[in-house]
This record gives sequence, structure tokens and C-alpha cells, in this order.
Amino acid sequence: MPLDLSRIKYDLFYLSPEIVLVVWGLLVLLVDLGLARTATLDVRRRRIGMLSLIGVGIALAAAAVVCFVPLFVRGDPHLERSWISPESAAYFLDPDPTIFFGTIAGDLQSGFFNLLYVALLGLVVGLSMSTSFTEELGEYFALLFWATVGMMLLTAAEELVTLFLTLETMTICLYLSTALEKSRRRSAEAGLKYFVYGSVSSALFLFGLSMIYGMTGSTSLEAIRDVLRTGGTAGLRGNVAGAVSILLLMVGFGFKIAAVPFHQWAPDAYEGAPAPVAAWIATGSKLASFVAMMKVFLHGLLPWSNPSTSVLGPGWIGIVAVIAAVTMTYGNFAALAQRNLKRMLAYSSIAHAGYILVGVAAVSVSTVEAKAAAAVLYYLIVYAFANVGAFAACAWLVRDKNSDDIDDLNGLAYQEPLLAICILVLMLSLIGIPPLAGFFGKLYVFMEALNQPQTNQPISLIWLVALGLFNSVVSAFYYVRVLKAMFFRQPGEKRLLPASRAIAVPIVLGTVVVVIFGIVPDYLMGMMQAAAVPMLTSPIVVPKVNDELYKPKPGQVIPKRPPVVSSPEANKAYADQMKRGMGTNKGGGGPAPKKGGMPPGTKKGAGKAKTGGGAQPGKQAPEKAKEGSGASRTMPGRSQIGAVAMKAGGA
Amino acid sequence: MSNDIPLTWFLYFAAASFAVGLAGVLIRRNAIAVLMAIEIMLNAANVNLVAFWRYGPDRPDAGPLAGVILAIMVLTVAASEVAVGIGLILLCYRRWHAADVDRYDSLEG
Amino acid sequence: MIQVLFVVIAAVGLAAALGTILARNLVRAALYLIGFFFTVACVFVLLEAEFLAALQVLVYIGAVAILLMFGIMLTRNIQGDDPSSAMSVWKVPGLAAGFCVFAVLAYGITEQKGIGTRYSWAATERRPSLEQVKEGATATGRTEAVNEMAKVVGRELMTRYLIAFEVAGLLLTAALVGAIAIAHREEVDPSAARIAPRSAQETGAPANGPGSPAIAVAAPAATESH
Repeated sequence: MPLDLSRIKYDLFYLSPEIVLVVWGLLVLLVDLGLARTATLDVRRRRIGMLSLIGVGIALAAAAVVCFVPLFVRGDPHLERSWISPESAAYFLDPDPTIFFGTIAGDLQSGFFNLLYVALLGLVVGLSMSTSFTEELGEYFALLFWATVGMMLLTAAEELVTLFLTLETMTICLYLSTALEKSRRRSAEAGLKYFVYGSVSSALFLFGLSMIYGMTGSTSLEAIRDVLRTGGTAGLRGNVAGAVSILLLMVGFGFKIAAVPFHQWAPDAYEGAPAPVAAWIATGSKLASFVAMMKVFLHGLLPWSNPSTSVLGPGWIGIVAVIAAVTMTYGNFAALAQRNLKRMLAYSSIAHAGYILVGVAAVSVSTVEAKAAAAVLYYLIVYAFANVGAFAACAWLVRDKNSDDIDDLNGLAYQEPLLAICILVLMLSLIGIPPLAGFFGKLYVFMEALNQPQTNQPISLIWLVALGLFNSVVSAFYYVRVLKAMFFRQPGEKRLLPASRAIAVPIVLGTVVVVIFGIVPDYLMGMMQAAAVPMLTSPIVVPKVNDELYKPKPGQVIPKRPPVVSSPEANKAYADQMKRGMGTNKGGGGPAPKKGGMPPGTKKGAGKAKTGGGAQPGKQAPEKAKEGSGASRTMPGRSQIGAVAMKAGGA
Repeated sequence: MSNDIPLTWFLYFAAASFAVGLAGVLIRRNAIAVLMAIEIMLNAANVNLVAFWRYGPDRPDAGPLAGVILAIMVLTVAASEVAVGIGLILLCYRRWHAADVDRYDSLEG
Repeated sequence: MIQVLFVVIAAVGLAAALGTILARNLVRAALYLIGFFFTVACVFVLLEAEFLAALQVLVYIGAVAILLMFGIMLTRNIQGDDPSSAMSVWKVPGLAAGFCVFAVLAYGITEQKGIGTRYSWAATERRPSLEQVKEGATATGRTEAVNEMAKVVGRELMTRYLIAFEVAGLLLTAALVGAIAIAHREEVDPSAARIAPRSAQETGAPANGPGSPAIAVAAPAATESH
């Protein structure tokens, strides 16, 4: 065997949550087969639901172990480490964050997001138990589990093959789940519409992917960036094939995140799908797709983002900014006209995708990429929890009133005041009202869009930020409609029954998350920043091979490849990064960890140091310190909002 | 070989097939016909991948067969997509007794 | 010589693809599609990826096309040819859009310059030659990949692309489970009451009605593509 396989048995450790979910899905399927003959539907639903929850619990424990054990091992240099073997300790101390030969990442970001997905899955599984909408219970829960596995691996993918496959796994499982409510016609139609749009966009995505492979000769994201960087400052200028492939990739991702004009499927799919499935599509698949999009565009295709200083120059930032603007505006204005709660939530998700795209554009122009990426991740997490709570309210309506119009919420405050207040908090967070977490998400994202290095001609995204603020104000109008229905109208004849635990837990948990991360945003931001660093950078893995295979033949020229990171300084830098992420809330933008001697990137003038990411940290740190003296280097606490706002005014 | 097929010919063929598939998706109203057009597009991407693999020096970290492996995975995805699509189309057909996408109108659209 | 062969194959393939999207009769469209799949397999042979050509024939023609045929037969209208396959008003704009996409792609392919030190597509006149393997020695690297593709595919799938391989297995299982779950016919179809008597005879007549072919069709299609 030419490849060195000794690491695989350790790499499997990082896959334990996924393996648990896959096996448990099969188990649920088989148990349902056995139960289907003997039990009634309600009994089956309860039993299969409890079995699924147990599986989710095991996966949650596995995900927690996978996320935190490496941190403990790395974070404490004085630890005796007597509780693990020296080989395992050496494995965890290896600063290379990719596993399985560089196809997926096993770092803090994937670990944290695994935990997040499994937690959200628990909420969704709980929601599924509250109403009876399908008879194929085993298949339904199995598909939910496997969609989650797709999401977890998609977040971790560092390579285009894995990315495409996991994207398809997640989406196909969601197509199938959407159509499982066989008693209603709208569910089948929603599934088919979702499927047709999704397949076309994935075919377009694949063609773009094949052209990127042709241009760079590799499918690993880091290698793609390496090749694109050697293209110099020209970027996309004159490269029609590159521009077309970026457009095709945007189509693929744009469909998944429901950005305009690829959003047509979203309102129908959300309305037709059963409420828990709609919740999963709106949160889990959007989260995973955004992270994948950030990896591809900000890690792999970063050299093509903005080689010029104008937004509409040859680079992808222009198109992302335009799509963000159109998406925000269309989503908000279309939501104003909706009477159906699920459709309103669908359009509001579209609008939120617009805000998040502003953040994605911001990462490529911001001074410290990791901070901007952290802002986006923070927004995604907060949005996910708020949305799951909102869809839980939809499930409640469907359970008792069999329809999910906004008017069905009339008078909720008189019946269940506590839950009505929780829903109020969730809607306020989605609008973006301080001191809730939604406000801080928007604040960080918009600030990062304006936080650019001090050059003569910074790329001005100020119009985008202004549009975002305007849209936030507009969005208040339709969220408030929900609150008006709950608090200021009398309940109709058909009243809502008391919410079961399955419905109350997502709502209350969402409220708690939104409130806590609104009052103390810095902890989560710090952790997200530590997570964002390995997401945006990872060394090229050239696996240890039998040298005979790759010895250059006489006269053959092989392009030089950089060595794998494995030096003590890199170790220490990584450990420091982890410590900063875990410890205080002042985890500001430190110098990026040494990236193993990559060829020094081209430096386009004093300002844009970020694309010269390959430069030695020693050279880089003073420059960043010089630039950063204007921008705030630490997490923007509330006291620094004024300073940044003044700076934004001058940008 | 002194006269080998230039790479661009393969790429033109793939691009033309892709364009034909895309036109098919826009033209056809029957869901199964749309599915067939999607298969044409996926095959075009496969031809692209294998041509790039054969004609180019891939980077060493991609292994000796990156394009072919990706093509095999696309094959797998396409097959499962067709299975799912036919299942969904059958489900809709049983409700509406038509496979015409324009007839499905129970959602507000 | 080989260039002439490629032009012929490509022309046949494009004609088949055009036939697929323009044929009124769905069964004819499916047959054109099978022709297109076969020409793509021939193109793979020209690219020295015979293993992939065999896979293409087995999976696409042997499973996907058959499944499409089943789908067509199970969703036909009662009266002969499917009238809904008639062209919509989108015909001319759709073809125009396709042509524009092709024009942009062709321009991009012709004008592509290599990034950094990589090769330019338009300048590549011939494929890289494979080294000659000496007597008794084993091939390595790309030569081995081309000459013994099945072995190298197996090795790569089990080492470098292990995750991709396992996820593909998961995808196939999920598609299988889900397609059966949505397509199988319940004992009492809730919409059965609305079926007109004539079509009730058509669709419900044999005891193993359209339900079980759907199951039987989904299962072999998914298992064969392993």
C-alpha cells in the first residue's frame, strides 16, 4: 500500500457521532419494521420517537467527546496525559487539522458544529413526536438521522468530492422527508418541486466543480487556493472559464441557501413539508450549506474574491454582494404579504440568508478574516435556534388546528402566557432588537463589512450595510404581526391545547439561547473565532507515500509542493490559538498560525495583507498590528460600538 | 500518437451536451423529461472530469485518479437521484393523475 | 484517424441529446437518452477509462434508463401518447438560452490560459504519454492508473476516498429506503375514492398493482448501482 494508513484508526475517533447516527438510523428502521405489525400508530410514534431520542443522546455524548477531548489534550501543556496513551496524545497534538488524508477536517469547527447539529436534531426529533403526520415512522426518523450525518460531514469537508457527495446526501434525505406526509397533497407537490429545483442546481454546481478541477488539477480546497494564488493579482480578469465556473458554483450554493433568484422552491417546500422537516431544512441544511459555501469561496477561491478595488471588478465579491442585496430586499418585502405562518417564515429565512451573505462578502474584505467568519458563524447559530423555536410554534398550530395561518395564533398570550413571551423573544431576536443575540449577529456582520484595511480605495460595502439596516426595519413589520395576533387579539373558537414538552422545549431552549448569547456574546464569538481559523486555512496534506512512486523521472518537472506542517512552533501556535479561543473573551485577532512554509503570497501593496497569508507570522504580525491600531483588535464589546461607528462613518 | 484528439474537443462536446441538457430543463414540462435532461447535464460534467484527468498533470496530493473517482461518485449520485425522482413523480401522479409539473397547484405558488 | 472517430461519436451523441429533449413521445426520448449514454461510454473509452465506460453502461443504461422507462410507463395518460409532452411557450427562449450558455462556455474554453504554471486548455494538443513499463516491473503512478484502472480505483476508494465511499453507500441506502417509503401504495389509498372508474380498472386491476413494480423497480436500481 503506498499510502500510510496508520492514522485511520485514530481518525475514526472524529467520526464517532456520524457512525452512531448512521447505525441508529438503521436500528430505528428495523425496530419500526417489527413494531409496524403489532402496534397502533400512536404507540409506534411514541416508541420510535423515544428510541430516536436515545440515539440522539448517544450521538450528543459522542459529539461532546469529539469536540472537547482534543481541546483538553492540546490546551494544557503540563497535563500529565496519563489517561490516554502517548500515541493518542501525539495524534491529538498534530497541528494538521485534516483527517482521512485531507478529505475532511477534524478540528474545533467541525467538532462544535457536530454538537450543534445533534442538539438541533434532538429538538427536531422531539417536534416530530408531537404530531402525527406520517405512517412511515421508521423511514422518517432514519432519513432525518442520515440527513444530519450529511450535514455534519458537509461542514467538515475539505475537498470537493466529499463536499459534493455529502451535499447530495443531505439534500436527498430532505427531499424524501418533505414528501412523507402522504395524507396531504401539498406535501408530495412540495417534495417534487424541491427535488426538481435541487437536482437542476446540483447538476449546474457539478459542472462548475468540474471546471475548477480542470483549472487547478486538484480537488482539495487548500490546493485550489494554492494554485489560484500563483495566478498573481490578475484574478478573474480575462478568465471567462473561471467566471463561468464561479457563477455555476453560486447557482448551486444559492439554491441550497435559498438566495434570490434561486429561492423559488423555498416557500412551497416549507409550506408543504411537515413542520419538523421544514424546521430542519430551514436551519440544519442552511447552516451546513453556508459553512460549505464559506469554505469553498473563502478558503478555496479566496484569491479570486476581489483583486481590484471596485465591488464590480473581476472577482466574486461583486456578485455575492448583489445577490445579498436582492435577497434581503425580496425576502423582506415578500414576507410582508404572507398570511401563512410557514410561508412567512420561509420568506424571512430567505431574508436572513441575505444578511448572512453580507457577512460572507465581508470576510473577504475584512482586516481579520477569522473575526468576520466568526461573525457569520455566530449569526448562523443564533438564527438556527430562533428558527427552530418558530417552527415549533408552527407544529403546535398544525397539531391542534390543522392549519398554520398567522391568525391561528390569536390570543395565545391569554392561554399560555409563558410560551407566548418566549415566542415574542424569538421574534424580537429575528428582527434584531438589542439586547438579544439576533441584534449582535447583525451588528457583528455589518461591522465586519465595514471593517476594512486602511487603503486609499477600500471596497465600499457601505451601501450593502445601509440596505441591510433598512431591511431590518422593514422586517419588524411582519414579525410584529405575529406578536399582534398573540397579544392583542382574542382567541377564536378553536383553542390551542396545552403545549406538550416536545413543543415547549424547542421554544424555551431557543429563547434561552437567544437571551444568553445576547447578554454575553463574547464567549460564543471567541469560540467561533477559534473555530474559524482552521476553517479558513489548512495545510495541504501530502500523505506519506512510498517514495518510489513519486520520484521524478529524468527530465520530468513536478511542480513544487509545500511540506506538511509539523514543527514545534506550529504546535505551539495552534495550542495558543486554542487556549485563546477557550479562555477569555478577549480572543482577538492574533497572528494566524504558521502555515508550514507555503510560498509567500503576492503582496498587493501595504493594505491587503490578508491574501499574503503565506508570509511568516513574524513578518506579518507587526504589519497587522500597524493596521489594526485603527480597527479594534479585541472583541467589540458594547463600549466600542461608538468607536467603530465613527470609523465606519469615515470608511 | 502524432495526431491525438485535442483536449478542447472533449470540452466542447461536454459544453454542448450541458447546454442541450439545460435547454431541455427549460423546455420540457413533463417531470420525467426534466429528469432526463438533468441526466444529460450530469453526464456532460462527467465527460469534463475524465477529460481533465487524462489530459492534465494533477497535483500530487490529489492522487493518480482524482477525476475518475469523482466521476464514479457522480454516477452514484445520479442513480440515486433518479430513484428518488421517480418515486416522487409516482407519488404526485397518484394524486393528480398527470405528470405535468404545471398542473400541480395545491400550493399558493 | 482517431480524430475522425471522435467527431463521429460526438456528433451522434449530440444528436441523441437533442432527440431526448425534443422528442414528443416520452418513450422515444428515453431511447435517445440511452443512445446518448452509450456515446458517452464511447468517449470514456477514447479517454482510456474503460472501467468507467463499463460502469457507465451498467449503471446508466442498465439501471437509470430502465427506471426511467418504468416511470414513463407507470405515469402514462390513458389516451395514447402523453399530450403534456407538447412543447410549451418556453421552447424558443429555452433553446436560445442553451445556445447562449454554449457560446459562453466555448469562448471560455478557447480563451482559457493556464493559471500560474498550469497548462492552458487550448494549447493541449495531445494527452500526456504514459511511460513504458519494463519487462517484469510493475507500473506505478499514472501508468498504473490507466493500465490497471480497476485495481487503482479499488485502492483509492479504500484509502484516500474512504469517506466519499462510505457516504456514497449511505446515500444509496437512504435513497433506497426513502424511495420505497414514498412510492409504496398503502392498503387503502386515501385518494382512491376520487379515482374515476375507468382508471380504477387500469391502476388497481391486478392484485400486484403498480405499487409493487415501483418497489421492485426501486430496489434493483439502487442495488445495481453499487
